[in-house]
Amino acid sequence: MAGVELKSIVKAYGAVQVVHGIDLDVQEKEFVVLVGPSGCGKSTTLRMIAGLEEISDGELTIDGRVVNNVAPKDRDVAMVFQNYALYPHLNVAENIAFGLRIRKEGQKAIDDAVEEVSGILGLRDYLERRPADLSGGQRQRVAMGRAIVRRPKVFLFDEPLSNLDAKLRTQMRAEIKRLHKRLGVTSIYVTHDQVEAMTLADRIVVMHDGRIEQIGTPMELFLNPVNSFVAGFLGAPPMNQIKGKIVAGSNGPAADLGGQHIALAPLPGLQNAVGREVIVGVRPEYAQIVTEKQDGAIMGELDLVETLGSEALLHMSVGGAPFVIRTETLGNINKLEAVKGFTAAPELIKVFDAKTGMALSGQTRVE
Amino acid sequence: MTNMNLYSRGDKMFVILNMVLIALFTLSTLYPFIYIASLSMSTGFEARAGNVILTPVGFTLEAYKQVLSEPQFWNSYKNTFIYTIGGTLMSLAFIIPGAYALSRPQLYGRRFWNLMVAFTMWFHAGMIPFFLNMRDLGLLDSYFGIIIGFAVNGFNIILLRNFFEGIPQSFEEAARMDGANEFQVLWKVYLPLSKPAIATVALFCVVSRWNGFFWAMVLLQDDSKIPLQVYLRKVIADLSDDEEFATSLLNAAYSFETVSAAIIVCSIIPILLIYPFLQKYFSKGILLGGVKE
Ligand SMILES: Nc1ncnc2c1ncn2[C@@H]1O[C@H](COP(=O)(O)OP(=O)(O)OP(=O)(O)O)[C@@H](O)[C@H]1O
Ligand SMILES: [Mg+2]
Repeated sequence: MAGVELKSIVKAYGAVQVVHGIDLDVQEKEFVVLVGPSGCGKSTTLRMIAGLEEISDGELTIDGRVVNNVAPKDRDVAMVFQNYALYPHLNVAENIAFGLRIRKEGQKAIDDAVEEVSGILGLRDYLERRPADLSGGQRQRVAMGRAIVRRPKVFLFDEPLSNLDAKLRTQMRAEIKRLHKRLGVTSIYVTHDQVEAMTLADRIVVMHDGRIEQIGTPMELFLNPVNSFVAGFLGAPPMNQIKGKIVAGSNGPAADLGGQHIALAPLPGLQNAVGREVIVGVRPEYAQIVTEKQDGAIMGELDLVETLGSEALLHMSVGGAPFVIRTETLGNINKLEAVKGFTAAPELIKVFDAKTGMALSGQTRVE
Repeated sequence: MTNMNLYSRGDKMFVILNMVLIALFTLSTLYPFIYIASLSMSTGFEARAGNVILTPVGFTLEAYKQVLSEPQFWNSYKNTFIYTIGGTLMSLAFIIPGAYALSRPQLYGRRFWNLMVAFTMWFHAGMIPFFLNMRDLGLLDSYFGIIIGFAVNGFNIILLRNFFEGIPQSFEEAARMDGANEFQVLWKVYLPLSKPAIATVALFCVVSRWNGFFWAMVLLQDDSKIPLQVYLRKVIADLSDDEEFATSLLNAAYSFETVSAAIIVCSIIPILLIYPFLQKYFSKGILLGGVKE
């Protein structure tokens, strides 16, 4: 088991550069999730680590060895593909054993390994079946079995759950997490599903247009996004972002949101910032509903109430901008239709520069 | 059975016309087989007289006796097997790796090589230059000359290449991650997945080798090396030129018509036997289930 280090990794297809110098240090046994919108270069990065794509520039190290020019089979990494890529002409046992057979392991060792892996993944009853005769979840498991049977140094996953229905996805997500706890193999996992990223990752890497926007633990990224892109990417629904201007409030800084003032925490980034164009970010979970005009509250019009069971999403319009509030239904259910605005604790409000998108507010901590 | 009441009059006419055409087509394909088989089992006299139309007239197996007792027949039969089996194996040995290489996106100069192969489908040097080429290479009158000279065929390569291209790239990538080298990827993954396409190409090779006539006639002078088709032509030419033979056989149990028909029947049988064996590969959709798009 080992770490993976990317130093200024670049990928160009001809004249078109799609990954622009990525630095990432994945620790031994760590579970790192690459997340970002479609086309941002996640798969390309993963495939460079796998050795399926050439690295145009930079240095890739696995377990302390530079592997830029090492063939995939000699990197000792295993990959789970989005479409599984199970060999259709082989049954489950043969699919799992394929890599060992190629590496000329003894029959006894192969049988033992298949036995163990199929036990871990609950595939014992399906060993004789062909992939065509398996359900989506079972195929997914076989694909994982094929990866873990070799005990590689690193697991790579490229959107392994995106072909499953929602329920199965949740279940397999938990299984992957359990498997990682059990085997402790360094893992790099690509997804564009931010829930998968939040639940699985030790650290999340948010990518955008071939660059890394931020690296951190799920909570770090959730609470303290470095810019408005990360803020808008993580969280469901994402952070509300409203254009505004810094003004001097009655006690400490405030932001003017089209005539209404919202109080901000007296953070270093906001000193001498009066007049600055900003984006004010409020997570739907951190907005408190109000049903009457009150001091410090921001008022808007309620468009739509979506009840999800324990929670409800209130879609509002604040000075023309959309704003979503997520609130408990318990004890509130009769008030929801009467909501007229929200309040938010100043220390939970994020402020970003309107031009650069960079965060101006300081660190938020949750104890 | 289709319920004809569901069709309008025009549709009914269309269906009936279709059936009639299909029946005619089937008959026109089957009739030559039936005719030749009947001819081979008729007496020489009736065959000469043109009395055989559908079934044998004056049933006799005399023509087969004549054919099967001729050592040259057996020798050319053996030669045909050598050309067919050797030629097909040689062709596959070239076509499979060639098609696989041309199907790989990472092949250096891929467009150029593909163009070169496709080019041979429309343009070749022509008969005389090819003959001279074979002569200068010392490949006249040799088994090897026939086998190697026609081993590679652009059409079959392109056919198989297109099939390989249709197999999702992720199979190759998965196999490479599993530790397979290029050769193992081809042998252990792509070949098993391509059985239907390879069976098709193999059948093309077998049939064209089995029926191969023209070049074998041109390139082989030595009668001990000629295949069945060339032997058949020789028999027909020899016997029909021979006035005396023709008249002496007026009342005989066999004639050169029945003898040639018997040779033709003997030469068709192996091909008929191998087709059902290959056919099972044609209907199977083996790619199912391995990947999810
Ligand atoms: N062979 C190629 N030639 C040229 N450009 C390519 C090639 N492969 C990928 N790209 C480009 O590289 C960029 C990154 O692609 P990549 O597949 O890594 O995205 P991704 O983040 O995995 O997206 P998704 O979430 O849709 O899978 C895309 O803009 C894509 O168009
Ligand atoms: Mg991708």
